[in-house]
Amino acid sequence: MNAATGRLGKAILGSYFGLMIIFLYVPLVVLVVFAFNNAYIPTLPLSGFTTRWFHAAFANTDLTGALKRSAWLALLNGVAATILGLLAAIAITGRKLFLRSVWTTLLLLPLVVPYIVLAIGMVIVIHQLGFQASLTAVLAGHIVISLPYAILVIVPRLRTLDASIVEAARDLGAGTFSAFMLVTLPLLVPALISSVLICFTISFDEFAIASFLAPPDAPTYPVFLYSGTRTPALEPQVIALGAIVITLSIVLVVGAEVSRRMLEHRLAT
Amino acid sequence: MSSERAAAPPRRRLPRPRSGRGLLMVPPVLVVLAVLVAPIVLIALYSVDVKTNLPFTPTKFTWSMWRDFLPPSQGKYPNPFWHRFEVSMVITVIVSLVAVTAAYPLAYFLAFVPRRSRYTLLLLMLAPFFTSYLLRVIAWKIMLSNSGVINTALWDLHLRAHGNGIPWLIYSKFSVGLVLFYSWVPFVAVPIFVLLDNLDTSLLEAAQDLGANRFVTFLRVTLPLSVPGVIAGFVFVLIPTTGEFITPLLVGGPDSQMFGNSIQSFFQDTPNWNYGAVLALWLVAVVFVMLLVFGRFLSTDLQEANT
Repeated sequence: MNAATGRLGKAILGSYFGLMIIFLYVPLVVLVVFAFNNAYIPTLPLSGFTTRWFHAAFANTDLTGALKRSAWLALLNGVAATILGLLAAIAITGRKLFLRSVWTTLLLLPLVVPYIVLAIGMVIVIHQLGFQASLTAVLAGHIVISLPYAILVIVPRLRTLDASIVEAARDLGAGTFSAFMLVTLPLLVPALISSVLICFTISFDEFAIASFLAPPDAPTYPVFLYSGTRTPALEPQVIALGAIVITLSIVLVVGAEVSRRMLEHRLAT
Repeated sequence: MSSERAAAPPRRRLPRPRSGRGLLMVPPVLVVLAVLVAPIVLIALYSVDVKTNLPFTPTKFTWSMWRDFLPPSQGKYPNPFWHRFEVSMVITVIVSLVAVTAAYPLAYFLAFVPRRSRYTLLLLMLAPFFTSYLLRVIAWKIMLSNSGVINTALWDLHLRAHGNGIPWLIYSKFSVGLVLFYSWVPFVAVPIFVLLDNLDTSLLEAAQDLGANRFVTFLRVTLPLSVPGVIAGFVFVLIPTTGEFITPLLVGGPDSQMFGNSIQSFFQDTPNWNYGAVLALWLVAVVFVMLLVFGRFLSTDLQEANT
């Protein structure tokens, strides 16, 4: 430790880290502060405390509708992507897999293909098939972009599972399938929960694909947010809702990480 | 995959019969083929006019749009979308370099802070990254806009004449670069942190026993050993930023739109899907070249053969 930084170096690095943390949180704090500001336009000086934007936001059925739509979409996406990710992870970690590197590369491809390309590609496919833009199309797009994250969460956990536990189950008479259901799957629960949460967040926040594929009369929540920023009358509601979502997602991220550590700790002992 | 096999004692430890396991790969692979690969193939067909969305338009294979877009045959006046691509790449590379430079000391600090607080601080740094990307851009719009938080604060403090906003604060290359930097900097620190965290500190001690001071140790031992992490961090910003279009949409001006916005415009504002397909496929090609160059620094730990 001392070989890496001296006392002065530590002080400088520490202050730098502190300043960057402030830089990272200032915009988020500003958003939360202005959610309570009693004015239509977010400018300084503050014009007094109000909660009316929250009331207005929750009375706005377009907004709450978009929020509900996105929540359902994100939930379906979280479950579907996790199931597909689990299947892929089991196959990837298998002893023998024909063309393993081809399949894994293919499944991780969505990490690098720009979302704008995926979005317009899906627009073209839907046009060629004679379909209309729909939330189903948005869901399909979200599942594909979430799948690599599900795999990257599940595979390491599957790898670190003690193979001897599964072998013990099999020696005690369990078949491949029942050994999986009774031993492997329960041990995977923490990873599966993180996967669902991560995939939920990806879909819930996703704008590029949804902006191309969601029907105009059924926008997802980010699409609604974006249109809200272009409508001055809606902006305070966008900020109010944004403040809630940002606060919730920070609580969720921290909570998920803490509980994952606790769960895995308990399973490890 | 059948559980009947279990009912047949006595069992012997044979190599586990797992031939069915690979078949589980079929559903996820099919989904990716249908939703990702098929669209890219169609984009390719559109880009050479083999297919089109325009009704009653004859389709015939042609490179003409590619020739129009790519620089060699452009002569004096560069194609505006090629120009947009160049501007976009300059923004992308600058943002990536600045982000890596700013993230390195963050990672370094985290890697050498006492173990007890290490992961708490890491989580503190990463939490904003996991909040909605769109909302973070909206938050910056509130900060930067002409009558936004920064300008009005300056007016209140009498540092600038009232009503006179800083011209380059929003709708400029600066604002686009700043917001992209903000969005990616915590994430860039992760691969560098992972590398430094696993660094064998006895190497550093050895260097110092041999007479190097801390600065020389850093320059000649730590920094060279952390190059893979630095490159991984660089690519972590480079690739997503190359296809970026949300940030310029909200905080960019006419001269700071990125290549992704050009693609978007061909599908929304002035529809010409075939030309848009050329730009989209070009973007994919650029990203793939980046992957070919930097791919080996992005080990995902999935490729290695299992035990």
